Amino acid sequence: MNDLRIPKLYTIKKTPKEDLEKWYRLMTIGRAIDEKAPNYLKQAIGWSYHAPYAGHDGIQLAIGQHFDKNKDHLFPYYRDMLTALSSGMTAEEIILNGISKATDPSSGGRHMSNHLAKPEWNIHSVSSATGNHTLHAVGVARAIKYYNEKVVSISSQGESSVSEGYVYEAITGADKEELPVIFVFQDNGYGISVPKKDQTAQRKVANNFIGFKNTRIIHCNGKDVFDSMNAMAEAKRYAIEESKPVILQANCVRMGSHSNSDDHLLYRSDSERNYVIDYDPLAKFRRMLLRYERFTEEELQAIEVDTKAVIKAAHKAAMAAPDPDPASIYDFVFAEPVVSEKYPEGVHHEEGEKKKLITALNETLKAEFRANPDTFIWGQDMANKDKGGIFNVSKGMQKEFGDKRVFNGPIAEDFILGTANGMSRYDEKIRVVVEGAEFADYFWPAMEQYVDISHDYWRSNGKFAPNITIRLASGGYIGGGMYHSQNIEGSLAAIPGVRIVYPSFADDAAGLLRTSIRSKGLTMFMEPKALYQDPKAATVVPDDFEVPFGKARVRREGSDLTILTYGNATHFSLKAANKLAEEGIGNIEVIDLRSLVPLDEEAILESIKKTNRVLIVHEDKVFGGFGGELSAIINEKAFEYLDAPIKRIGSPFTPVGFNRILEKAILPDMEKVYNAAKEIIEY
Amino acid sequence: MSKNAIIYSFHTQKSKKVAEKVIEAFGKEEIEAINAEELTKEVLENYDNFVISAPTWFDGELPNYWDEFIPDLEEMDLSKKTFAIFGLGDQKGYPENFCDAIGLMAEILESCGAKLVGETSVEGYNYESSKAQRGDVFVGLLIDQENQARLTKKRVSDWVEKIKGEFFN
Repeated sequence: MNDLRIPKLYTIKKTPKEDLEKWYRLMTIGRAIDEKAPNYLKQAIGWSYHAPYAGHDGIQLAIGQHFDKNKDHLFPYYRDMLTALSSGMTAEEIILNGISKATDPSSGGRHMSNHLAKPEWNIHSVSSATGNHTLHAVGVARAIKYYNEKVVSISSQGESSVSEGYVYEAITGADKEELPVIFVFQDNGYGISVPKKDQTAQRKVANNFIGFKNTRIIHCNGKDVFDSMNAMAEAKRYAIEESKPVILQANCVRMGSHSNSDDHLLYRSDSERNYVIDYDPLAKFRRMLLRYERFTEEELQAIEVDTKAVIKAAHKAAMAAPDPDPASIYDFVFAEPVVSEKYPEGVHHEEGEKKKLITALNETLKAEFRANPDTFIWGQDMANKDKGGIFNVSKGMQKEFGDKRVFNGPIAEDFILGTANGMSRYDEKIRVVVEGAEFADYFWPAMEQYVDISHDYWRSNGKFAPNITIRLASGGYIGGGMYHSQNIEGSLAAIPGVRIVYPSFADDAAGLLRTSIRSKGLTMFMEPKALYQDPKAATVVPDDFEVPFGKARVRREGSDLTILTYGNATHFSLKAANKLAEEGIGNIEVIDLRSLVPLDEEAILESIKKTNRVLIVHEDKVFGGFGGELSAIINEKAFEYLDAPIKRIGSPFTPVGFNRILEKAILPDMEKVYNAAKEIIEY
Repeated sequence: MSKNAIIYSFHTQKSKKVAEKVIEAFGKEEIEAINAEELTKEVLENYDNFVISAPTWFDGELPNYWDEFIPDLEEMDLSKKTFAIFGLGDQKGYPENFCDAIGLMAEILESCGAKLVGETSVEGYNYESSKAQRGDVFVGLLIDQENQARLTKKRVSDWVEKIKGEFFN
């Protein structure tokens, strides 16, 4: 749009005819599928979600033409059908996605239609939550910069997505880190039915970012092929050569409704609809090809006949493709963990000097970072001189591994996690550890990314596993009140796709952390911060110790009652058990679950078959806590073995109070466990 | 004697009405109407002075009929030709790019050597930015039928009076 800094590499007069022909074919095929998609729904074949792209043709063609597959990284959004075609995906692949077939390269029918991806080419699988992938594009750009590749990351999105807070986090982060990423805002003036004026004070939403120091803003006419091609070429050149972000705002029109669940007749006038249809980018391109005598009418008609044949063949092939197998639903929920040959049960018998839990974590992190050069860690308060992490768990790491692998994140939890997701997309060899928040209590702003990342492996049909360990300092007993005492595992355990571990002792903490970092996939690693320095959690820690996921550990053998517990609660459960034994009331088996997801059901059921009584103890709230799930499993699978009702000990349904008197009244302790255990034994 | 033409899209409604006011002010016999959608280089070469209509579309764009002609236009030598530009815009709805199309056309025409006439004062408008503005004047006549329709008649007649002198010199 008349930006003199943008070279006119592409014009109707100069562009080689074969390029023009390729573009016209892509645009014609794309438009035909765009218009045909609703028919699949009408015939009940599928494609129940379709967001037509007509009106975005210029910029989508340009994004795809500038995407270098296997090198660049592309994050298309749900309206990016022509982007996908222009990037090299075929008409058949588009239809396979549309009608959710098993051979759909995007997700094997798992993700919604119109969410196109081909992870093997770096066309990434993204969420339907608008702009969610902006953070991933920034994360992958961080890896591009770290590994010194001369390629670019492209986040494509509607202009309304810029209303999302995390999109701001992404752009400010890219600006701060000076990353080679292009944010393409495809601006069609609407977020479903919400007009731009209800989203932003500034119609040119890219201009909201004018104050950003390192970010270049380019505007182009997204309806015009040549303007879009030139703008995209310049954006890519600049992002790579300068290693800086670019916002490319492409003015588009939405010729149709938002999607097939929207009806724009309800909120757009005839004159407005005619106005946008008047600027049909495909019709404009066709007129230009004829006007400037690059093609004859007969030549264009011949191409149109060809493209009809392409679509017909693609339709036929896609219709004949297999549907997903219902038995496959459990595939790719969790990525494959490493298997420990030396410690298959996650136990050891080493003797020697005991180490504190914090030391075990620190030494394990360092050992893993020494062993694998493609490891990274960041979070708030991660590294500044002698400080390393809010509790100094990562102390000394930046000094040893440098500030490119160990660094501070901004106070933006969603950014911390979202860019971890993005960075791990760059190469499966990468392992990222993040301190997800200063305290588990502050993790909630990252939940948007957390929920989405939990989908990644399943949604991509096993093509992408986010290889990330999220460390969170959790739990109470430090007089921290309701923002420094939360246990959030009960809420998180309801979300499939993430392993959740919660050690109680130094050796298990080291072993589980090693397994988390080495394994594929996502692990939530809960650290009971009250135990970091506590001598009672100190143990001997073998240098190479590993604890497999889903392996509980019997911390005290017994025959009269099973206590199922984890984290801080393991310690006062053991204390209560010892006291009851000393008093001759009963011999209690204490099982430290260590891993909540996956859960060692076998160990739980075996113990209950032996003791016939069970008490569940955790620090989190009883109502809605993880103990409810344990109780239900036992009820379903071991009811016949029970001689007494299951009891649960945990916090009441309140926040944790700051005054120590309130904290004590709320958090469970030895006495509460003792009383409950005694009651069950005596039942 | 120099030949004058007014170029606008015959398919428009609001721009067409304003163009008709311009023609009326000029006198029908003095200026020939040409449909912008059928414009060719050859047509342009046949005249000396032009009034052109460049309404602003969307967030500051040229209408497609101008946009599609630009590749030809920008290769022309217009050094012996004079242009006056008017255009419709909406200063309230689109204050960030009020009548940008006038500025965009002005830039292209000047780069082809054309002489531009018909500057107007920026007074009487309320907007944030406009590519039509240069210092304290606009490079053409800005018409806002959405918010200031009552002023259009006078704005057109004053403007035509001014450019008439330039055209008929």
